[in-house]
Amino acid sequence: MAQSNFDRRRINGPDESYQPVFEADEELDSRWKPGSSRKGRAARDIRPIFLQAGLINQANGSAYIETEKTKIACAVYGPRQSKTTVYNEKGRLNVEVKFTPFSCTRRRVPIRDAEDRSVAVQIQQALASAVRLELLPKSTIDIFVTIIENDGIEGCIAAGSVAASVALADAGIEMLGLVASCSAAVVGEEIWMDPTEQEGHIASGSLVYAGMPALGTITNLWQSGSMTPEQAVKCMEACQECCADIHSVMAQALLETAQNT
Amino acid sequence: MATQLVSKSERAYIQASLQATPPLRGDGRGLLDFRTVLLETGVAPLANGSAKLNIGKMPHEGGGGTEVLAATKLEVEDVESGDGVDGGRVVCSVSCSPSAYPHLSSNALDELQHDLTVILQQTIGHPSLHPQNLTIIPRKKSWLLNLDAVILADTGNAVDALFMAARAALWDTKVPRTRAVEYQAPEDSRTTRDSASAMDVDNREAIPAASGFDTREMVKTAADFELPDYWDEGEVLHGRERWPVCITLNLLPPSHFLDATPSEEASVPLRMHLMFSFASPSTPKLQSMRLLGPGELDSAQIKSYISEGEKYARELFNALESKLREEDVRRNVKARDRFAQR
Repeated sequence: MAQSNFDRRRINGPDESYQPVFEADEELDSRWKPGSSRKGRAARDIRPIFLQAGLINQANGSAYIETEKTKIACAVYGPRQSKTTVYNEKGRLNVEVKFTPFSCTRRRVPIRDAEDRSVAVQIQQALASAVRLELLPKSTIDIFVTIIENDGIEGCIAAGSVAASVALADAGIEMLGLVASCSAAVVGEEIWMDPTEQEGHIASGSLVYAGMPALGTITNLWQSGSMTPEQAVKCMEACQECCADIHSVMAQALLETAQNT
Repeated sequence: MATQLVSKSERAYIQASLQATPPLRGDGRGLLDFRTVLLETGVAPLANGSAKLNIGKMPHEGGGGTEVLAATKLEVEDVESGDGVDGGRVVCSVSCSPSAYPHLSSNALDELQHDLTVILQQTIGHPSLHPQNLTIIPRKKSWLLNLDAVILADTGNAVDALFMAARAALWDTKVPRTRAVEYQAPEDSRTTRDSASAMDVDNREAIPAASGFDTREMVKTAADFELPDYWDEGEVLHGRERWPVCITLNLLPPSHFLDATPSEEASVPLRMHLMFSFASPSTPKLQSMRLLGPGELDSAQIKSYISEGEKYARELFNALESKLREEDVRRNVKARDRFAQR
């Protein structure tokens, strides 16, 4: 039994455990038929966003975003002195993402794993060109993103970028513009915006887009899955329109926080 | 990605010469010229499929170039009790040899390995490219296809090399032919048949009614598989025309260039990876697109990069296809001829 006590710092559950199967779930899970329309919202509608800045007092800046089932909290510490002795004339942006063990349907181990890093790389790609790092030599900006509930990995990346951008603005770090981000999926012949995890599984391809609507530029583009180049361009244009709406939500959230303090 | 250190003046020098008219590159190539690509399949005899690819080897100056070795290995997985998925699964991994990146610490090397693995896995492991013949026994046993790539040397353009080597290794992969068998416990002690003989599924006869308390019923349908021919390499992996090729456009607005050397990669960090699949030549599919590096683009630029990238990818794909068919001929037809003549 020595193998089961792998993590001595935590109370380990049983060696093998299985998700309970509920009878009711299996009836509700009706198969999506190709050609049928989306359930619950229009094809081009994104999920409603709740965004609030300044929730974590300890951090320099923070934000909490909730879009239906996806819940993400973000804290920004910085700019603070770089721990390394190597001189860097531009500031460093360090993004760390953590999925809480209860965020996905299958429990995730508390140890940092591979998927954390891929989400962090995407968020860093989205923010790197927006933050004015040349004004912060020898400094590091630490962004800690905690994913409390995960409904679709593309949605997490998009919501994480939005939360991080608002948190950076809340911390008072100079940026060229607010970064808005959203995702799209190609399901059959239609383009569905902001897919959930279930919708992501039935999609033939998906796209995550991040950009600065104020400047009209794109900072992160990640497409995966089989789609024609024309469909990819259409997804990009649909995302661009949605990002303009998301930008106004972000600006509104920051304005409210500024007015309340 | 791993970039070598380059000073500000060197960076400015390289950028200025790329934007000059006519554009100048360190080795005298044009902006859209690739270095020589050398490909060999079947380099790892123990693997189910393998390929070695080298971009930019200079035989007169003692070798070099970006070298990638990719190999596929098939493992049997249990669907019910193990990690297997009904229909099989594809897992990719990339490892970077420390000799290829001597200037990176082991942490940075791990991170680079992970980033490349994620790019390869998310493109090749996507359900739209999943090959059909990875099932052994439906809902019981399936194949796990492990695609492992090793970067032995990196002198720029490692991602393109990875995808080309991966495509070649997958093209070369042969899945062993299996046959499902079922064991049947003896129905009756009165019969003179041999006990517990393995029989083919199609020859199974009607099972006579047995006692309700006979627990031997449970053992009757334990299914397993066998290899009808141990020495047969098997059939080719399905969907081999769908595997994508990758083209990396290094972006220096307003121009872009292909196949960068390490100093060019360090001076122009903004790049776009485009993975195209040419299963049907008239409608290419975009399998993956990644924008990496600090920099911003607008949508018109992205549209033009996608359409240009498609053209370059098509040329790359055609060249790779003709080489792979040539390799097939070399290894099968010509080898048989040589064997027959000996």
